[in-house]
Amino acid sequence: MSLAIEALHAGYGDLEILQGASIRVAPGQIVGLIGPNGAGKSTLLKTVFGYLRARAGRVEFDGHNLVGRRPDQILGLGMSYLAQTGGLFPDMTVHENLGLGGFILESARRRREALDELYARFPLLHERRRQLAGSLSGGEQRILAVARALMVRPRLMLLDEPTAALAPRFIDRVYETIVALNQSGIALLVAEQNVEMILAAAHHVFVLDLGQNAFDGAPAKLRESAQIRRLYLGDA
Amino acid sequence: MSRTRRPLALGAAAVMLAAALPFIVPHPFVLTIATQALIWALLAASWDLLSGYTGQISFGHAGFFLVGAYAAAAVTKHAGVSPWAGLVVGTLAAGLVGLAVGFPALRLRGHYLALVTLGFAEIIRLTAQNWMSLTGGPFGIYDYRTFPGLPVEPLAHRRAAYWVVLAIVAASIAVMVKTCEHTPAAKAFRAIREDEVLAATLGIHTTAYKLLAFGLSAGFAGLAGTLYAYYIVLVSPTVGAVGTTSLAIGMAVFGGLGTIWGPVVGALLFYGLNEALRFVGVVYNLIAVGLILMVFVIFVPRGLAGAAASRPRRRRSAARAGGERALGSTGN
Amino acid sequence: MWESVADFVVQGIVLGGLYALIAVGISLIFGVLDVINVAHGEFFAVGGYLVFASVVLMHLGPALGIAAATAGTFVLGLAVYPLLLAPLRRRLGRRPSGSLYLVLTLGLSTFMQNGLLALAGGEYLQIPPHVRGILDLPFTSVSYQRLLVLAIAAVLLGGLFAFLKLHRYGLAVRAVAQDPDAAQSVGIVLGRVFGLTLALGVALAGASGALMAPLFNVYPAVGFPLTVKAFAITIVGGMGNLVGALIAALVLGVVESLAVMVIPSQWQNAIAFAAMIGVLLVRPQGLLGRAVAR
Repeated sequence: MSLAIEALHAGYGDLEILQGASIRVAPGQIVGLIGPNGAGKSTLLKTVFGYLRARAGRVEFDGHNLVGRRPDQILGLGMSYLAQTGGLFPDMTVHENLGLGGFILESARRRREALDELYARFPLLHERRRQLAGSLSGGEQRILAVARALMVRPRLMLLDEPTAALAPRFIDRVYETIVALNQSGIALLVAEQNVEMILAAAHHVFVLDLGQNAFDGAPAKLRESAQIRRLYLGDA
Repeated sequence: MSRTRRPLALGAAAVMLAAALPFIVPHPFVLTIATQALIWALLAASWDLLSGYTGQISFGHAGFFLVGAYAAAAVTKHAGVSPWAGLVVGTLAAGLVGLAVGFPALRLRGHYLALVTLGFAEIIRLTAQNWMSLTGGPFGIYDYRTFPGLPVEPLAHRRAAYWVVLAIVAASIAVMVKTCEHTPAAKAFRAIREDEVLAATLGIHTTAYKLLAFGLSAGFAGLAGTLYAYYIVLVSPTVGAVGTTSLAIGMAVFGGLGTIWGPVVGALLFYGLNEALRFVGVVYNLIAVGLILMVFVIFVPRGLAGAAASRPRRRRSAARAGGERALGSTGN
Repeated sequence: MWESVADFVVQGIVLGGLYALIAVGISLIFGVLDVINVAHGEFFAVGGYLVFASVVLMHLGPALGIAAATAGTFVLGLAVYPLLLAPLRRRLGRRPSGSLYLVLTLGLSTFMQNGLLALAGGEYLQIPPHVRGILDLPFTSVSYQRLLVLAIAAVLLGGLFAFLKLHRYGLAVRAVAQDPDAAQSVGIVLGRVFGLTLALGVALAGASGALMAPLFNVYPAVGFPLTVKAFAITIVGGMGNLVGALIAALVLGVVESLAVMVIPSQWQNAIAFAAMIGVLLVRPQGLLGRAVAR
């Protein structure tokens, strides 16, 4: 699998946020996307997944063009998206939420199989399966969101600030999960405010500023550059 | 300075042309249509002041219209008040009802505001329909006099009535336009439409201005009602049904929201079309109303006023751009 | 005296069932599409006309007639979203704009009502009762026709709730009502759910129009007063809250019915609006709050 984004322009109404960003995710990679607020990280992920329409540029996933496609079509191609906030159905049970994750699966039997797999992988969710999703803690909700996204066995997952508003112990758990997912063969593109965590986990990092690429490279290289450290990593 | 002069000159020219109509086409039927079109124009413009300009969606303007009409008819019939004074009574009565409706509705927006105004209008209509002693029930009020002092001969009478209505409507539109363009209220109304919360934090007395908009808008709608009452010399509850509001909104959308003069043009054209289509079939004109409402809302949101303006996007006037945004803010 | 009360209560429950069919449809459409369907009552009228055509013109019998009316309204409803609402949504994008949709459905209402007038004329069409006979109860008696309305209303509403709870697409409808973006992220196509929801909502109205046709007669404007009242009911119950709409509808039906003992009958209709205005002023989210069927 591979994801190639080239010279992407996108925005909201009169506001253009992405002004020619280019990102690559190679097979099996965890790729980090960092940068100041408003740089376009969320916008980029939303545009790739089809929530926003790209105004210019290319997005290719495994040879398929994604520009102009709807989210449900992109999901069908093997890409999942996890929103920064919300993303769950709060008035439905854990079980119903997971079931909906398999909405596009061809049969009820496939859905049951996928559910069984996920319950085995995440026993906590099995325990809480009759609870309303809205009543779970923040960390549990994040796990549920990840599990739901896994129902369709994606090859690439887009994560928009997965650790936002989470307590520190949950942040570690989330990253353990991210690494575990990657080891099972899923590539991940992670937009992050929490720079330290993503630098530790990612194979490659892109820095976005003002809607454009400011830097990209391996985490080690980012750490080496004093300028990058100062501008984007919050170092003194 | 010429920016304010030009519309003023255009408006004056339009009024003069309108005044000359009885001489250009001295046909009583045409005059009747023109007079009624003017009444609708006033109603549509009054709706625009509240809903298009200030962003408070009203689905109940038929109610204010009805209040004005009934107040005028009742006061002339039962208290022998002269129609000239009746105009004032009707306008004031409607304006007060407008305040009464606007006050509880202050906290509401969007869907909820529209529905509460609809509810009030329905209550008004039900009152008119059921309170036999005051309103004559379903039959309405019909034996009261029209404007005194007008010539008796039919054509001359219609001509004079037309001029009376034209003068009053033109003056009202002028007042509304002036209020919405050249007074402190203008900025307040626009601010409230764009972002009410922000307006409040900027120190604008949103409550006072919203009430002002309600009162003015209802008052002018009531004035239209009184003109209707004295011109048709029959008021009945059906005139306060949702169809009336629907028609007024359609005319406003057709003409262009948030401009005051747009709905006037929309109403005149629309009513003219409506009557012309009557020769095709009485029902088809209302089907056309529905169609126009739908088509224009989807495809021509800024109405004729917007289409007529050939200015580029960036320089379009705040009023016109905001007109649609008025309907574009959700109820929260 | 108690016989009168029992009488009124029974009539009230039947009336409440009718109100529920319409109010639940409106609430459902609002909860999922965020649109208030001003044209809802016109689908009620369409249901009446379809049952007239089936039963009186084509002699199909009441059961088929009601089924045809419901199905016909459903199909008509399927056309509304793609033809009218979708183009507006495309133009507006993700900007919230509830009021423009209101004006759009207002236009649809005018169009449909007068379209019916043009197509079918304005006379009040009469339809014989779907079932004849009277059931005698301890304190009162009620016609089988009215019982039929209640029974079918219960079946339809029960079916709807079951669909929303158990069927894959029913869950999709609830998902879209709770979070459209999240729904898209699991592969739900919003346009399809919107279209389905609208069709379901107006089909309920069509069914009630077919059921009530013998009692109300059929004419183009028959649905409008009900629509306005149904808005009031859904606001009282909580816009988007189906259970709230159901309860508020039943309560209003009974209250309106009983009120005849105390106030002149023409003022019955004002009760709903007074309640709506009251709720909007005191607790705008409705007595049960905004939430779609769990």
